[in-house]
Amino acid sequence: MTTIALTAAWVAFLLGMAWYVAVLDGLWAAAREGRSPRAPLANPLYRCATMLRHQSNLTEAPDLLNWRLAPALYAGLAGTGVALVPFSSTNVLADLDVGIVWWGAIEALTVVIVFLHGWSANSQFGLIGAYRYVAIGLPVMLISMFVLIATALPAESLAIPKIIESQRGFWNVIRQPVGLPLFLLLGLSLSFRGPFNYADSADVAGGTAAEVSGAPRLVWEFARLAMLTAVAAVAASVFLGGYLGPWFPGPMWLVLKTAAVLLVLVGLSHQLARISPSRMMTLIWTVLLPLSFLHLVWAGVLAL
Amino acid sequence: MTLTTILVVAAALIGIGLYGTLSQQSFVMLMMGLELMLNGVMLAAVGFWSLTAGGLPTGQLLTIIVMAVMAVEMAVGFALITAVYRNRQADVTEGLTTLKH
Amino acid sequence: MNVTDIAFWIFAAIAVVSGWRVFCTDSMVRASFLLMLSFIAVGLIMVLLNAPYLGIATVFMMAVEMMVMALFMVMYMMNPAGLNPMMMVHQHRFSIAAGVFLFAALAGLIIVTRFASNPVAPGTEVVAGLGKELLGDSMLIFETAGVTLLATMVASVILSSRSGRFGAADTGSVPPPLEPGGEPAGRQPEQGGGHAHHHH
Repeated sequence: MTTIALTAAWVAFLLGMAWYVAVLDGLWAAAREGRSPRAPLANPLYRCATMLRHQSNLTEAPDLLNWRLAPALYAGLAGTGVALVPFSSTNVLADLDVGIVWWGAIEALTVVIVFLHGWSANSQFGLIGAYRYVAIGLPVMLISMFVLIATALPAESLAIPKIIESQRGFWNVIRQPVGLPLFLLLGLSLSFRGPFNYADSADVAGGTAAEVSGAPRLVWEFARLAMLTAVAAVAASVFLGGYLGPWFPGPMWLVLKTAAVLLVLVGLSHQLARISPSRMMTLIWTVLLPLSFLHLVWAGVLAL
Repeated sequence: MTLTTILVVAAALIGIGLYGTLSQQSFVMLMMGLELMLNGVMLAAVGFWSLTAGGLPTGQLLTIIVMAVMAVEMAVGFALITAVYRNRQADVTEGLTTLKH
Repeated sequence: MNVTDIAFWIFAAIAVVSGWRVFCTDSMVRASFLLMLSFIAVGLIMVLLNAPYLGIATVFMMAVEMMVMALFMVMYMMNPAGLNPMMMVHQHRFSIAAGVFLFAALAGLIIVTRFASNPVAPGTEVVAGLGKELLGDSMLIFETAGVTLLATMVASVILSSRSGRFGAADTGSVPPPLEPGGEPAGRQPEQGGGHAHHHH
């Protein structure tokens, strides 16, 4: 495919999957509240239009540059994450030799951007959301890097297309079973949903997005969905074999696998409760990080 | 993008870093000056590796060691700043006077 | 002047200007993120120089480091938001002179030196080569760096612990009592670790 066709496919993938996640969110919330959903397929688009018509809020002495840039940068990072994922064995928008390392940089820059978004509004709830998120987001990033390095071991390469090619025999979710659950936790953390929603939750009155409305709010919410899509696409590629699969063409398999991972992620974000930040930090540092070390040792022994 | 231009940019970063290290009163800003200097050193190392060492792997290794040194320096530096603040409530260099003549 | 050269000049300008602005800005959080921007620009120059792993690892590590540094800035500096002008410098003219002199000396040396030209061959596997070097010939250096990082972790925890060797770490900085023989004046840190800590 030509670059232009690939770029169009990339944009369509991002927008389509973001809409799909929004639809799933609406259906799940309606099911939990015991009511029938209102226009489930069109509701996300109605909400986009409504958000666009709101005015953009201003607070007293915000850091306006960082405040308005943060949602756009967040969406851009999610876009580069999806660009790393190959649609088939010959079609990848960004064929980086060090794809895994760039994904790590995306995770680190996400933490920075969420902090800036909360801090620059010059409001207490934004600051609280930002600080809580940094305390949790940084160690979760460490877990995900160990898990990704473990998937790079059988492929002997840091590039995502090569990692997919190394799964022709067995998918990584079978060879390295602990990897996918830990990586899904990262997905919830990068777009701060459900049990990892320390940044924008209702108990800090909306957190980093408390003072944001209008078009910046729309970009921020879209960026969260796009980041969730990017995580699901990378998880589908490095754990579930990406475009590999019988009978159907490669891109279709990638879309199906990403949609399945997104279904699981949306389910986890609605069903799991959020525990207090200090308890979550204890859990991450004393249970999940050692588990990811052991997982890396296991993957190393397997790859020897 | 010749080696000369890369090294001049690295020298500029080192010079700005030295200015920051010597001029800032606060400990954390002083450390930012040190970080800038190491930034310049890393750029110079990669420049040399890429344009005169023909891809010798030990060049990249030097850069990785400098990155590890940066991490070590930041960690111990902040621990020292915390210890000094707890002990003497000093958060600027002028607050430490025990070695003054 | 091809695309690589133009990109290099843009990144170099970003790196130097944001490095300089770190020390001129009033807002401390902006200072740490301007330093991060300088590091990102240098990392992208490294990518242009055929060292993709080093460049992107620089961006990755520096994003995390500068995030932590921003938190420390807010802890120890008075002006995190930059709503008041602030200039906390000492020996300012001497440091400007030192910085300019160092730059001039280095740049002079660089310009008069004739460097050999031995660029990286375009098809070499730099990442694989780095991996083989790290875990092959230079394994001892790598392991020493690992042990050094472990020692650093232990040292930073010990240095910054609340209970010093001869008593609480903040005994030297507690203000004197308002009446002789009374409690120290000022705000006491909460006993038992504070309300934000949950015991479990």
